[in-house]
Amino acid sequence: MSAALSAPGRRLPRSLLLGLVVLGLVLLLAALGPFLAPYDPDAFNMRARLRPPSAAHWFGTDEFGRDVFSRVLAGAHHSLLMGFGATAISLAIGVPLGLIAAFRRGLVEEAIMRGVDLLISLPPVLLGLLILAVTEPGLGKTILAVGLVYVPIMTRIARAVALDLLAEEFVEAARARGEGAFHILAREILPNAWPPLIVETALRVTFAILLGSALSFLGLGPQPPASEWGLMIAESRPFISEAPWIGLAPGLCLCLLLIAVNVVGEGLRDLLDPRLKGRGH
Amino acid sequence: MAGFLARRLASLVFVLWAMTVLVFAVVHLLPGSVAHMILGEYATSAAIAALEERLGLNDPLHLQYWRWFSGLLQGDFGVSLTMDRPAGPVILEALGRSAVLAAISIVLVALAGVALGIHSATHAGSASDRALTLGQYFFIAVPEFFWCILVILFFSVWLGWLPATGYTPLAEGGLLGWAKHLILPVATLVLGLIAHVSRLVRSSMLEALESRYVLAARAKGLPERLVLRRHALPNALMPAITVLAVDVGILIGGIVVVESVFAYPGLGRMLIYAIDNQDLPLMMGGMIVVTAVYALANLAADILYAVVNPRIRVGGAA
Amino acid sequence: MLEVAGLSLAYATRRGAVQALQGVSLAIPRGGAMGLVGESGSGKSSLVLALLGLLGKGASLSAERMRFAEDDLRAAAARLRGARIGTVFQDPAGALNPALRVGLQVAEPLMQHRGLAPRAALARAVELLGEMGLPRPAEVADAYPHQLSGGMKQRAVIATALACEPELLLLDEPTTALDVTVEAQILDLLERLRRERGVAMLLVSHNLGIVDRLCEEVTVLYAGRVVEQGPVQALLSAPLHPYTRGLLAALPRADRGGMQRLRPIPGSLPDLTRPDPGCHFRPRCPFAAPGCEAPQALRPAAAPEPGRGERGGDPAGLVRAAGVRRVLCHRAEALAGTPWPAEEAPPAARPPIGGTLLEAEGLAKRFRLGGGVLRLLAPRAEVRAVDGVSLALRRGEVLGLVGESGSGKSTLGRLLLRLLPADAGAIRLEGAPVPAEPGPGFRRRAQIVFQNPDGSLNPRQTVEQALLRPLLRFGIASGAAAEREVDRLLELVRLGPAYRARYPHQMSGGEKQRVAIARALASRPDLLVCDEAVSALDVSVQAAVLNLLEELRDRLGVGYLFISHDIGVVAHIADRIAVMYRGGVVEEGPVEAVLAPPYHPYTQALLSAVPLLGRRERAGARLRLAGDVSTPAPARGCRFAHRCPARLGPVCEEQAPPPRLAGPGHVIACHRPLEELARAPHALLAAE
Repeated sequence: MSAALSAPGRRLPRSLLLGLVVLGLVLLLAALGPFLAPYDPDAFNMRARLRPPSAAHWFGTDEFGRDVFSRVLAGAHHSLLMGFGATAISLAIGVPLGLIAAFRRGLVEEAIMRGVDLLISLPPVLLGLLILAVTEPGLGKTILAVGLVYVPIMTRIARAVALDLLAEEFVEAARARGEGAFHILAREILPNAWPPLIVETALRVTFAILLGSALSFLGLGPQPPASEWGLMIAESRPFISEAPWIGLAPGLCLCLLLIAVNVVGEGLRDLLDPRLKGRGH
Repeated sequence: MAGFLARRLASLVFVLWAMTVLVFAVVHLLPGSVAHMILGEYATSAAIAALEERLGLNDPLHLQYWRWFSGLLQGDFGVSLTMDRPAGPVILEALGRSAVLAAISIVLVALAGVALGIHSATHAGSASDRALTLGQYFFIAVPEFFWCILVILFFSVWLGWLPATGYTPLAEGGLLGWAKHLILPVATLVLGLIAHVSRLVRSSMLEALESRYVLAARAKGLPERLVLRRHALPNALMPAITVLAVDVGILIGGIVVVESVFAYPGLGRMLIYAIDNQDLPLMMGGMIVVTAVYALANLAADILYAVVNPRIRVGGAA
Repeated sequence: MLEVAGLSLAYATRRGAVQALQGVSLAIPRGGAMGLVGESGSGKSSLVLALLGLLGKGASLSAERMRFAEDDLRAAAARLRGARIGTVFQDPAGALNPALRVGLQVAEPLMQHRGLAPRAALARAVELLGEMGLPRPAEVADAYPHQLSGGMKQRAVIATALACEPELLLLDEPTTALDVTVEAQILDLLERLRRERGVAMLLVSHNLGIVDRLCEEVTVLYAGRVVEQGPVQALLSAPLHPYTRGLLAALPRADRGGMQRLRPIPGSLPDLTRPDPGCHFRPRCPFAAPGCEAPQALRPAAAPEPGRGERGGDPAGLVRAAGVRRVLCHRAEALAGTPWPAEEAPPAARPPIGGTLLEAEGLAKRFRLGGGVLRLLAPRAEVRAVDGVSLALRRGEVLGLVGESGSGKSTLGRLLLRLLPADAGAIRLEGAPVPAEPGPGFRRRAQIVFQNPDGSLNPRQTVEQALLRPLLRFGIASGAAAEREVDRLLELVRLGPAYRARYPHQMSGGEKQRVAIARALASRPDLLVCDEAVSALDVSVQAAVLNLLEELRDRLGVGYLFISHDIGVVAHIADRIAVMYRGGVVEEGPVEAVLAPPYHPYTQALLSAVPLLGRRERAGARLRLAGDVSTPAPARGCRFAHRCPARLGPVCEEQAPPPRLAGPGHVIACHRPLEELARAPHALLAAE
């Protein structure tokens, strides 16, 4: 459990800093997008269809003459919401379940963990498809579906972390003082559990964005004319030979965001959990 | 080992059964009438009533479930609502074509992932290791559907080397025609997974190389290649088996995407088709089959793990 | 045969180069045995790796000479290791590859260096395993490491090291991870190998006792430098260098009783990134004087008269023919008569031991074996960790609980504190029954100190937070009074108020253990369970913590249940000793009574297995045990019957041994009559 017990306060790795900067930039653009956008992202302009990138249209225009740059800006918040929203959902449900399973050994634990085993034995996409197949698609549904997909994993991790910590001697010392479950959870377990949980959360955001945008790409996310990046890429397919920029622009942005989130996740892991670090450098 | 197998098989059966309940429950218990869903929002109430009557949707739920479940047990997946064909054969044909894609991919991922991971670990810190690490960061983060767009753009549109979409059966197009349609989908599927597996193999190999038993093997005077092959590798590969099983799940997701983009007539594309067209028997059957495949892959991984890990295979501890 | 001169080794780290070894010289003649002793951080293990040519990247090595027989080790190490130099590392569990059969691992050097075919090599491996005293060697060869016990694994590792009949064995802490009776078996084996094969040995150890038993010469390493070198008996009976003297003064000894306070070495290891050109022990040395800041050279020293060292020297006057002695201190001879100073505070007079504080009756605890998988496979597989133990602890008394790993002593400690639910039995605190879920009254009065200083403090709490919590929880003090109380507690454990704001990672192991003790004492308990509380500490630090515990006992009247596998420590601090074997107490009594005949056969074996300084001849009279704690015990009858060398017959397996009163408060549970048990030789003193 050296993971949780690593010393607080260490130097920020450079890659983490870089990732945070890029991520911050995307956040900023997502927040300011509507004000920065040179055009209305949904406005048709039939006279300016399929224009290549130029000074007037940085990322070109699509088949309806919509400005791709404005659409990419307007779509940034979708990916962010999917990544962080879904992760927040899995965290909010999974962590309490995991902690309960760690604390209440016996029947409650069995019930929770068998349920987790069951859900984990389904491929993640399938679970998402199942939830989205029978309801009207939309951003909220996609976020919910992706979040639910990762609940069992979060539950498992939270339980494992808590079980490791419960075996620590300082927790036993707290029990020797007759401390209640709340004190042990709040003062002894959680302050030491958050580093591995943060690391897991950060890495999970990447997967959530990937899964969410893949579902959108398949038409199971936000519906047209929404400018979700995965959806934009899907819609660009018929024009791939004549106007590749329609798909490339949101795709490259999505890649940039994913790499940034991934770098931040890996950086946090190196920072908080040196045991798991890919060594050799 | 026999007990281990028996328990894993029992849990497999349980998972499959639970999945039938889950799929059925989600489809039938969520708000909104099934018939309404199938016919769309402009359906007349008479049409809905007729369909409900035809599908037996007015029967009690447990009866409907039992009808469907007992059918499944006999290999009867019901009749596709959109194709007027039994769903079973449709699913099986699609499964066969997807299986080709998946099998080639998983073999490539295992071979390339392990080889690159070992190279990285044994050359840790070198230029090639750094390049691989950078590549891994990149390939893990790029979504499959975007890869599809990129490879189509590059190899089909610009270079014109390979077909962008479609499928030619082996019998019609010969080996070449058949393979042409597989290259791009497989390439798209494996890139991210190879990065994932090689990263993991690299770190588990490094861990093995730092272990006391590798030090002891070197102190015995064994040459480095023997130290790597006999002492480090078997221990480093154990976690790789687990991660390969997890990656089968990711691969299934990838297949759904890749088949839709490349118009490859496999199980993934069929599922999306069934969802888009609300073809419930096809969708439910497809989901059960995918779950079964995934569960079998996990079972295979568990057995493989037990075979290479003497703690499970031999048991008994002191 | 092995000759090393002026060996220096530096590791590149982020904080700069760490000088792990500086100018180390030593030589081992053909068939000779050299002990290399030092505390953690002294560089002992680095030296072994340097000799094998197995230093990792980032290590830079320089030496005037590194010769093995006629070869230069720097060039030839790759060819020699495994063939002419065998190695045994600490922790046999880690040194064997979990994925390969033991036989193959033993056979590997034979295939590599002797060119034997796999089949022939395997056959020879089975022979070797047999020669190492393993029963059924063919089965062992066919097994995987996880199927063997620790002692069996270490025998297999030694067999591997010996496979090519090397001329030199490098032994890096070869018995440290093992129980004392198993350690004794391994030491017997090594001794026999020296005798029969004439193999030379370099024995690296922190344990002076096993070096004394196995080696002729010893090299003492302190922070990367050799501080003293010479014949082992002369050196240990009359050490010259202040560090060696301090080390011996700080060592609790099973054969010396516990009346005197130990004399710890103050301070800690120097910063090796900036090595001191002068004597680097100077900051910790009570004899430091002008001239110590000058560079010191390892120089020949005149051997002092035996018996003038501290702590009585060698009582039997057994100093053998003195070889060359070398020492790294310019004042060594001048200081020979000056004793190592005791701690400043004179021990407070010890208050008399009071009435019964805690009583336990028939405590029992079973554990199911294994996790989910095993549980389903064999639902009845369980181990009786504590099996009907009754004991009593009086106010201000120290009850030592000894036993090997797996004996259930830690479980018993937790049962007594109601940290684990007992399956059966009752506990009374001053006559009042303690319920299964005791209230704050009991919790306040009974506290615990753990073994691992790293795990026993919450890494996210400052010392102040850790100490305030029990004060507030039990309503001992609040507000400004609590602040004062924190200072008082820190003072109690000899830490300044500057420690209040520190986090655990900012403290050394000894400091952390002091904080853990202060935290346990904050609620002013009457009873402290010390679970291996000093086992993870180096000897010099351990002495300071032991002294602290004794002082607190005397000042506060706290009673201790002192759990330890280290007989020396328990003999030093305990008033009474209980000996546990497989969940049951086999002998219990006042410390002098337990340490002298009559013994329970297990106690006798345990005590005679303890390697003691200056008592090499004891080895002949040792009561040897076969197997280890995992050897199955009979379901009924005596739990020790299957390993007992003094077994009477079927009665031992069929009937529970009767507890017999061997003296006032001294109980032995054995079928053998007391008169017979009393005829056993004294296990700690030399054979008559």
